[in-house]
Amino acid sequence: MTTIGQPLDRSAVPSTPPNFRWLRQIGGTLLLLAFLALLWEGAKAFARANNYALEIGGLTISLSNFNNEQLPHLGDIARAFAEPAGRGAPPLYQFLFSQAMFTLWEAVRGFAIGGVFGFALAVLFTYSGLMQRGCLPFVVASQTVPILAIAPMVVIWMSRAGARDWAVPMIAAYLTFFPVVIYTLRGLTSVPPTALELMQTYAANGRAILFKLRLPNALPQIFTALKLSATASVVGAIIGELPSGSQDGLGIAVLDFARYYNQSPPRLWATIATAGLLGIAFFGAVSIAERLIVRWRAEESD
Amino acid sequence: MTAIISIQNLNKVFRAKDGVSVHALENINLTIKQGEFVSLIGPSGCGKSTLLRIIADLIQPTNGTITVNGKTPSKARQDRDYGFVFQAPTLYEWRTVLKNVELPLEIMKFSKTEREARAREMLRLVELGDFAGKYPWQLSGGMQQRVSIARALAFQPGILLMDEPFGALDEMTRERMNNELLRIWTSLPEMTVIFVTHSISEAVYLSDRVVVMSPRPGRIAEIIDIDLPRPRGAQTRDLDDFFHLSSRLRHSLREGVGAND
Repeated sequence: MTTIGQPLDRSAVPSTPPNFRWLRQIGGTLLLLAFLALLWEGAKAFARANNYALEIGGLTISLSNFNNEQLPHLGDIARAFAEPAGRGAPPLYQFLFSQAMFTLWEAVRGFAIGGVFGFALAVLFTYSGLMQRGCLPFVVASQTVPILAIAPMVVIWMSRAGARDWAVPMIAAYLTFFPVVIYTLRGLTSVPPTALELMQTYAANGRAILFKLRLPNALPQIFTALKLSATASVVGAIIGELPSGSQDGLGIAVLDFARYYNQSPPRLWATIATAGLLGIAFFGAVSIAERLIVRWRAEESD
Repeated sequence: MTAIISIQNLNKVFRAKDGVSVHALENINLTIKQGEFVSLIGPSGCGKSTLLRIIADLIQPTNGTITVNGKTPSKARQDRDYGFVFQAPTLYEWRTVLKNVELPLEIMKFSKTEREARAREMLRLVELGDFAGKYPWQLSGGMQQRVSIARALAFQPGILLMDEPFGALDEMTRERMNNELLRIWTSLPEMTVIFVTHSISEAVYLSDRVVVMSPRPGRIAEIIDIDLPRPRGAQTRDLDDFFHLSSRLRHSLREGVGAND
């Protein structure tokens, strides 16, 4: 508060008015979720009212995919979280939480390996046009090979190497390094020419140019890549678990609950929901890190 | 007074990919003394920015000799003998105003306390002491350019090279910035300024000497002494001599263009 007669302290005046953008964002998300829930239950109600079949001009379209076995009520899925995961077992949410943590640890390790490897490649490519021209096509080509085809191979290799625990993280890393290479490379090389000339006028060495110019210049792009990688690493970990012979993880839970789907469809759906939430949570964590680190951006620009 | 910049028979030919070569600078001879304020003026394509960049060792001449502080431009750059102010402020957006001014001091390995003390002093010099913690986007264009001047002066170079630094500013801001620059230059008596511009009034108002350049090929058409009294201020622009020198400069520029077109 400024009282009359006191000089106005410039630094105490906020440069931008407070805004409630985050509140609006949360409100929008909730609205969207409500809309999707309405669509889900509405489709089910519509199918049931038509006896799970629709006749249009002599053609019969089956709506059986909307029955309670194929598409459970959202309420049933929510209830499944609280019910025991199996005979005499703790509630499903507890089981899924521990499986999610197991998968998250694999995803985080994969994210770290892929991030470091991708970053190192991008720096290498920035300074060596020869390496970039020679290797970048292979980096791109690597992503055209389906992860499911590679995963069993990685499991076999890592088991032979005596690092079975690292098989799934390696598969996750395979998915995560790619966006990091591409975005970091673009960030490191898209430096304004005069910003680089300024460094020349200081006779700055390569180290200073990398750490004081190229890297900070690339940070927004690097975070874009890391956000993509965060969700990709969860997907990679779940897929990697399938052929890994692991006992734990969301991928294994998906396999198990798919096998016993007829007994309890909501449990598979609850597992799928958990996998989705895990990816969103990881994405959110990286977004928070971005907000803390990339702080110079104008409010309007994001 | 000792010669700070000495240029003899300097040529610069740009060879484009299609084999067409452009004679950007032809037979340039120029000596600049310590403490002088010299402007390079001319229409676009006359090579005035090219000449400044050759002095700064950002590009190399095709032939001829040039010394900066008695050394090759390359050695002078390595010794951090000059500060450079670009047409755009070229601030690093991820650094606060203070940290932008500290940038050259970080690279030159000044201690943390010395860095901050000098940067704050420089920001006071350009009258932006209250804005140390702001980010560049929070400042107006004129303020950003003042930060870039503070940054160029932070390591106390003997030479200040300025490449159309106020070209993007409106007339009012530009005149204010001219006064700021003269005030700073007066407070650092040993400092030599080489100032590229395409504004006649700016060149006359600021300079000890104006080097008039003409295009295709870039040559020095004339060097005009500006013997207006210092310190200069609002009253300077009303002097008869200011008008005479401005119109002489205008004629010189017109002839330089006419002779080649």
